[in-house]
Amino acid sequence: MKLDLITAKEMIGADLLRLRKKRGMIALALAVMLVPLVIMTGYDVVKHASDPGQYPPAGGLNNYGRLLDLLGVFMGPVAAVLIGAEAGAGDLAAGVFRDNVLTGRSRLALFLSRIPAAVAVTLSLTALAFAIGVAATFGLAGGLATPSLSVILESVAWLALANSVLCVIALGLASLTGSRPGTITALIAWELVLSPLVVQATSLGTLRRGLLDSVLLFLKPGPLTGPPGIPMPVAVAVVVTIGWLLVLPALGAWRMQTRDA
Amino acid sequence: METTHASQADRRPALGDLGPAVEIEELTKRFGDRIAVDDVSLTVPRGVAYGFLGHNGAGKTTMIRVLLGLTRASGGHASLLGLPVPEQRARALARVGAIVEEPSFYPHLTGHENLKIAAAVRGPETRQRIDGALERVGLDRRSRDRVGTYSLGMRQRLGVARCLLSDPELLILDEPMNGLDPGGMLDVRRMIRALVDDEGRTVFLSSHLLDEVEKTCDVAAIIDGGRVIAEGSIEELVADEAGELVVECDDADRALALLAGDPAVRELRAEHGALRMKLLARDQAGEINSRLVAAGLVVSRLEPARRSLEDRFLEMTTRLEVAA
Repeated sequence: MKLDLITAKEMIGADLLRLRKKRGMIALALAVMLVPLVIMTGYDVVKHASDPGQYPPAGGLNNYGRLLDLLGVFMGPVAAVLIGAEAGAGDLAAGVFRDNVLTGRSRLALFLSRIPAAVAVTLSLTALAFAIGVAATFGLAGGLATPSLSVILESVAWLALANSVLCVIALGLASLTGSRPGTITALIAWELVLSPLVVQATSLGTLRRGLLDSVLLFLKPGPLTGPPGIPMPVAVAVVVTIGWLLVLPALGAWRMQTRDA
Repeated sequence: METTHASQADRRPALGDLGPAVEIEELTKRFGDRIAVDDVSLTVPRGVAYGFLGHNGAGKTTMIRVLLGLTRASGGHASLLGLPVPEQRARALARVGAIVEEPSFYPHLTGHENLKIAAAVRGPETRQRIDGALERVGLDRRSRDRVGTYSLGMRQRLGVARCLLSDPELLILDEPMNGLDPGGMLDVRRMIRALVDDEGRTVFLSSHLLDEVEKTCDVAAIIDGGRVIAEGSIEELVADEAGELVVECDDADRALALLAGDPAVRELRAEHGALRMKLLARDQAGEINSRLVAAGLVVSRLEPARRSLEDRFLEMTTRLEVAA
């Protein structure tokens, strides 16, 4: 059974369909990005409205920096993990994996088609949240400075990279373990708790360059807020990113090939 | 339905004339020390409904999983539509539709969307068969409802519809009647018969429901403890090897007295107003009839005793237990 381009496109479309129709997951992924954004911005709006002399407007560069942290370091990755885990283990959980295998289609093709679909959903939701955040940045700026177009474009590329990588890692881990809850718990604990601690552990020195968080903070466009990045050559950042992009998905693909359907 | 019939009529001959639908030789599957399938050999001819009968845990599903390449055999050979598996599994499965254990779907998607996903995996040419397949199994009116709202019977039928997307020459259905009410069973039985009789497909149906296999299938194999203990047409399987005859006449007591001690009769007993007898030879039934008629008895029924497949199955498995 040969895999031509049309079939590949159809398979990606099928994975896209099952992901985007998972309304609960989509709503949750959007909520984890938008709710903190709305709360933080709303809080700033109220503060500014109550005492404009003491509190600056809610928009502007400061708001934009927080937006990037939220969507690229904290809650955006959480949303990416939710989507990646569903893409990686959703068919196993529903029992459809076996039926897909029974078509004779190669298991590798079944695995690979998940990746663009999951990344597309992740990027769509991130784009929506980012658009809302940028609108707030400009709309609520008052007289404050706003990010330039080049910074916005760099930010878009960085957010796309950060959340796509997390999504693919989650997809790989979910395919490897076959468990959505396990993958979500492990990766969220790593991303939100363990990894930030390890990044700050100066005793580890250059070893910390191997962490995805280190690379993403290093690549993050200005204006910077939050923890500082660890300096590293761009080549190291590229190698580390590719490494994270390959290792877990490769393990997931291997497990998909060997898993008893 | 038109589409499905037309495509069957135009069936590609590439795989069509290469041998039986399923051929299994000395197939064995072990899980550690436990033998789940033990040296099974069987042949499923094309164009029949073939029942694979056994109680729960007899090895039916394991053998189907091996056959479909979901797990590897420990020994032996198998082929689907003339193609050896697992060597040419992908090519064979392109012309096979299968449900193993129970059909699974994404509950948050509609029936139509689930088939769209299955068609995408099969290949773009199968997409045009979605509507026909849904109509074929009687789900066209519910196809836009989420599968989470379907009954088990509807999911079973949707599973068959998914099988039909590949325009299969062979359907392998593992316990398709499981959990269905009598109406649902009747629907599935009719559907299977139509797939075989009207469309010329082969259906390999595993079940522990003896009555359903007897009513649905043309040929069957009985599996017990991982071994095939009998194979043949349903008629052959339920035929009375001992040549038992059932006779009804207007005076059962007189007939009993008349035939008692008859040298052609080995055993004789009255049962529910009829006589049941075992003859030394099956062709002596005519002589028995002549004797009764000559004695002035009016014979209203005289036929070979026919046991149910269930009787036969129980007899065989009991015999095995005794031998063990």
